[in-house]
Parts: sequence; C-alpha cells; structure tokens
Amino acid sequence: MSTEHHAHPTPAQYWKIAALLAVLTAVEVAMFYIDKEYELGALNAVILVLLAFLKFVIVVGWYMHLRYEKATLSRFFTAGFVLALGLYLVVLAAMGVVVITGG
Amino acid sequence: MQLSDVAHDAASSADAEAVDQHHDEHESTGIDNRKLGMWAFLSSEFLFFGALISNYLLYSNRGGFEGLYPADIYDIPFTSVSSFVLLMSSLTMVLAHNALSRGDQNGTRTWLFATAALGAVFLGGQVFEFTEFITVYDMTLSTNPAASAFYLLTGFHGVHVAVGVVMLLSLWGISRRKGGLSESNGMNLELVGLYWHFVDIIWIIIFTVVYLLSSPPA
Repeated sequence: MSTEHHAHPTPAQYWKIAALLAVLTAVEVAMFYIDKEYELGALNAVILVLLAFLKFVIVVGWYMHLRYEKATLSRFFTAGFVLALGLYLVVLAAMGVVVITGG
Repeated sequence: MQLSDVAHDAASSADAEAVDQHHDEHESTGIDNRKLGMWAFLSSEFLFFGALISNYLLYSNRGGFEGLYPADIYDIPFTSVSSFVLLMSSLTMVLAHNALSRGDQNGTRTWLFATAALGAVFLGGQVFEFTEFITVYDMTLSTNPAASAFYLLTGFHGVHVAVGVVMLLSLWGISRRKGGLSESNGMNLELVGLYWHFVDIIWIIIFTVVYLLSSPPA
C-alpha cells in the first residue's frame, strides 16, 4: 500500500505507545494541579512544553511513521514546523507575550 | 523489413522514454506524489494553526475587557478526557492501517469505524463545552478578544476533526463494499491517517498551550 516497505511497529507495539501517550497525558494533567497547589511557575511551563513535545514526536515518529520514511518527508515536515515556530515566536516576542533573553 | 525494425526500435525507445518521463513526473523523489503532497499540506497547516494559537496567546490574559475569560471557566478534567479520546483515536487509526497492510479487511473496517466514533465523541465534547460556555457562563464569540480567539482556534480545529470524521466514514463505507478496500484505496487510507494524526498533534499543542498553561488576567 505504500511505496516504502520499512518494518513498521507491530500492533502490540502500537498499544504500548498508546499506553505511554496516556501516561504522559496523565502526568501533564497532574502537573496542572501540582502547579495550582505549589505555584511552580516557569518550571511548570517548561515541564508541560517538554511533555507536549515528547507526545508530538512520538505520534509523528511512530504513528505517522516519519522515522521510517525517506529523509525528504522529514525535511518537508520539519521545515514547516520550524518556520511556523520561528515566525510566531518572533511575532509573540515583538508583542511582548514571549520574552527572549540573551545576547 | 530493416526499415520496419528501425521504426519498431524507435517506437519502443519513444515508449520507454515516455514511461521514464511518466515515472519522473510522478515519483522523481522516490515517494508517491500524493503522499508528498499530503506531507507538504500538513507542513503548511502549522502556519495556519500557529497564527490562531499566537492570536489566542496575544489576548488570553490581556486585561481591560469585560466578561469572563476562557481560562476562568476551563473544565480541565472534562477536556483531559476529550484529549485522551482523541489520542486513542490515533491508536485505532494506526491499527486500521496495520490491519489493511496485513490484508485483514474485517480489522480495517472495525478500526476505521472506531476511529470515526472516537472523533465523533471528541466533537460531541467540544459542542457540549461550547454550549456550556455560552449558556451557563455567557461567554460568546463577541464577549472579549480572548473569547473570540478561543472559539476561533478550537472551532477551526473542530472543523478539521469533522472533515476527518467524514473522510473516515467514507473509507469505512468503501470498505463495506464487496472486496473491501483495494490497493489504491490503501494509499487513501494512509493519507487520511496522516491527516488524522496531524489533527491529533495539533490538539496536543492546543491542550498544553491553551488549556493547561494559560491563565486569566491578574
């Protein structure tokens, strides 16, 4: 069905990945309540963004099979993501929503 | 006789060239063009959703407007369950894809329907959430810029999910016909799957940035 025939995960592995995604989501929700109780501030934001990024990479890599595809597809997808992320970070920084330090 | 051989060779050569050109036209990258097109489309969607998420971030905690802000009334337990449902629909989608690659038509039908059903549950949850925000909390599209940005972002995501559900049910309908999904429909399933997983990853970002990280004006 596909032009490429790399070894994709088995159904059992897909279930394990789903379980991992569910656990990560549970940790995210737990972090939300922990932050409400202990006011972690920036640390909470960093942890939540990292957890979301991890879930993002898992779905793209294993469920969308990007890690088994040709590099051209990865470049296409990554270019769009990085372009959008960079563009809107600059916009949000210019508007004062995101503070970029350094230099 | 010799002349006809030359003509035959020339014709064969022209045919071979045409085949090569045809091949180059459609798969010069070694990747099916429909698949490449879908990945390019999904890549461009980051700019679309990025604009809507940035718009929300700009107004989500900007004070000075009347009415409730979205972050005042989020129901995190409810949205967490919705997120879990959408996440699990990615599992059923990939299981449908896997079943088809093994030639298991029954499994493909079952998992396709399960994916569409989970998508419909997610959409039902979103309709319930919107209804509650509007009728109970009186937060409408025009209450304040934060509310507008919230409805615009989550609404457009909901539209994407709805389009996905329609495509899934179409494939499910085709899979119920005699012989099930064919080889060419297999690629269609793969493309719909890519779209569906993309909708899921966009929600992963929205759930974190919009629901878990945003706070109303102090």
